[in-house]
Amino acid sequence: MNVIETRGLTRRYKDQLALDDVNLDIAPNRIYGLLGRNGAGKTTLMSILTAQGFASSGEVRVFGGNPFENEQILSRLCFVRESQKYPDDFTIRNALDAASLFFPNWDAPLADRLLEDFQLPNPKKHRIKKLSRGQLSAVGVIIGLASRAELTFFDEPYLGLDAVARQLFYDRLLTDFADHPRTIILSSHLIDEVANLLEHVIVIDRGRIVMDDEVEAITGSAFAVAGKSTVVEEFVAGRPVLRREGLGALASVTVDAPLQAGDRERAESLGLELAPVSLQQLIIRRTLKANERFGSPAAADTNVEVAR
Amino acid sequence: MNRAWAVARMQMVNKWIYLGVPAIVLVASTGLALAILAVIPNDDGATRLAFSGQALMWYFLAIGVQSMMLAFPFSQAMSVSRRSFYLGTLGLYTALSMAVGVIYWLLGLAEQATDGWGVDGHIFALPWIAESPWFAQILLYFALTILLFMFGFWFATVYQRWRVLGLVASLTAFGLLILGGVAVATWTDSWPAVGAWFVQLTPLALTGWLLLAGVVLAAGSYGTLRRATP
Repeated sequence: MNVIETRGLTRRYKDQLALDDVNLDIAPNRIYGLLGRNGAGKTTLMSILTAQGFASSGEVRVFGGNPFENEQILSRLCFVRESQKYPDDFTIRNALDAASLFFPNWDAPLADRLLEDFQLPNPKKHRIKKLSRGQLSAVGVIIGLASRAELTFFDEPYLGLDAVARQLFYDRLLTDFADHPRTIILSSHLIDEVANLLEHVIVIDRGRIVMDDEVEAITGSAFAVAGKSTVVEEFVAGRPVLRREGLGALASVTVDAPLQAGDRERAESLGLELAPVSLQQLIIRRTLKANERFGSPAAADTNVEVAR
Repeated sequence: MNRAWAVARMQMVNKWIYLGVPAIVLVASTGLALAILAVIPNDDGATRLAFSGQALMWYFLAIGVQSMMLAFPFSQAMSVSRRSFYLGTLGLYTALSMAVGVIYWLLGLAEQATDGWGVDGHIFALPWIAESPWFAQILLYFALTILLFMFGFWFATVYQRWRVLGLVASLTAFGLLILGGVAVATWTDSWPAVGAWFVQLTPLALTGWLLLAGVVLAAGSYGTLRRATP
């Protein structure tokens, strides 16, 4: 049975569509990436899935029911938002103590280990409102991991974390996931950084789901070919091209189709180089293409944030 | 119900907010009032009133705002339903308001026993109120405290749901309502009647009206909270 099912989910703010006819099926015990640019609708979607926000129309089913005011369903999920607020004067310890009251699978020793891992200041003394951005993210990450909720959302969990802390989070997440499988939805706009964690990717752009596929299927569904432009053009003739890049007589073309039998040998004999396309590259290309198709106001906007 | 209880405990996790600060407010405001009374000479032995007791009640207004603006978004991250948050929060502050009522009544007894703390001061046993039976005194102080809490809570809930625009609109509407009442009383020349109504009011009747207003605000808060977002 699916953990999450949405049908025709739409969220309208005054003059803009934050979510536009979203249909999703999320299977249990997997790690999903919810990817998209800032303002694409990631947080709005997660808010509605956890009954923190409301849809304008459409249907949400989490664990088979509507999560709104449903304590049986709510107690099985955890969503600490990126801009989470805490009660005034709460210390880190206060927040963790409070979380232990609400999450049935709360693992206090794990929370304590993570406190040390992330090198947070004295949890009994340090007030949350005085923490840095990175430390605040760490508190959210600790609550998310230690809650061991059957359905856990991480909302841009790496914001402000240094490289070591980010790696630590990814490692801890995978280790704990292996021991306690559950459904994890990781929202991110840094795609390559989380690509190794993900099994399934959902890409959202301007409130629309533009990609909903297995990571393997996505990376296997395209390839790049580079070499002399005339030869490259001959090679890709008749294939769907996602992107062309040229430098003098050389060209690199991204083809939006899997490699076919005999392609490798042919490329080799033509002196062309074949390369896989990274998840991030593919998502950027497809997002841009989807924008063209939907006629976005900023179709020429190549300044995609994920490209950083 | 379990989770409503957990919401109450969640807000008691930080004892400073519900024990430390109120104690400081109570002690400081009372101390200040007594110091002022001690400085002013009282040769004719007249009854001297100090209304510093309200300081703690205004703190409940601030708590009402804070529990909605900060504890509510946090409770959402703790996967608590709005209903449980509402029951747990109102339950907790109803109990604390009741505690304020009892403390004020006890302080009033102490005040009467010590001739107004030795300086003829009336802070907790205000004449009109102190003449009523003990339960009426406790209930009146309770009603004032919880009403201020509900006031802060409801306006903060309006803000959470409709943000600045909603807050400004509701505050304006509230102001217009009072202004309308004043205008009607003036046009119909009923100020003497209004005055007479207030004069005949007993502490217990006043308590009833305050509690009624509190219940209206509590019901309004729940209706507003149902669709509020963190």
